[in-house]
Amino acid sequence: MSKSNSHVLHHFVDSEQQFEASKLGMWLFLVTEILFFGGLFVAYIVFRAWHPDLFIAAAETLDVRLGALNTVVLIASSLTIALAIRAAQLNQQKHLLIYLGSTIALATTFMVVKYFEYTDKFAKGIYPGAAYTYTGLEHELASVFYSIYYMMTGLHGIHVIIGIGIIAWLMFKARKGAFTSEYYTPVEITALYWHLVDIIWIFLFPLLYLID
Amino acid sequence: MSGHHIIPLKALLGAGVALLVLTFLTVAVTWIHIPEPFNVVVAIAIAVVKAAVVCLIFMNLYWDNKFNTLVFLSSILFLLIFIAITLLDTLFRDIPFGIY
Repeated sequence: MSKSNSHVLHHFVDSEQQFEASKLGMWLFLVTEILFFGGLFVAYIVFRAWHPDLFIAAAETLDVRLGALNTVVLIASSLTIALAIRAAQLNQQKHLLIYLGSTIALATTFMVVKYFEYTDKFAKGIYPGAAYTYTGLEHELASVFYSIYYMMTGLHGIHVIIGIGIIAWLMFKARKGAFTSEYYTPVEITALYWHLVDIIWIFLFPLLYLID
Repeated sequence: MSGHHIIPLKALLGAGVALLVLTFLTVAVTWIHIPEPFNVVVAIAIAVVKAAVVCLIFMNLYWDNKFNTLVFLSSILFLLIFIAITLLDTLFRDIPFGIY
């Protein structure tokens, strides 16, 4: 076996089959992720159908500009990680590191904006569940909207933080020259995960921030 | 030599620009106050188009093995079943609101 195929495990026929199997495995994981978030989307739909007035009133307390900014930031990060794959495919080691680093920087920007949004709400007493003490919303179930808001954005935020960790690990490996046009599977499947995190936010933004 | 599809740079940048334009559009439509059920329909429709752009271009599904697309779409199908069957219960409960 040639040196360039040293990454192929013994139970695969060749590098191509191993790559396709890894990618299919990642897509199956993404299916479980969609259904995982799906439970929260169902909760959102059920409560919005029950209390449309609450969702309209509560959404006005969210800052559309910050939500839109974070949407742009995540779209940019999806682009940079797609460019990172391209760099790996073209054996551009320096570009690979730059694009992975840019993705981490954008993901961190997203979390910093989220931090300011959360602390602004905490200062007003907008906490999830029973800890809710905000009095600015005239609705007896006002805390329900924010519980859903915190669960959806919180679970999404955890995914962003995990993504930052995985991409940092990719950078660590990439610095040692682990990824080439022959083998870049970890970059490819991490990007698939990262794009899904972007897609979830693409739905969260209009559903939470853009209710007139 | 790797035979993997390398996404053209133009496609990646085009997808990025399209997503930014659609993000602006989804904010802009809220300024003209579309009446109640249709504002949600428009917002979700734009989000679906954006998600499709991410899947087809960034996630390479347009060029990839179609089985991956099938796997992905199956999750959407089951999500819709999840939503539909839950709403068949919650939309038709014969008990007063306010207790949830």
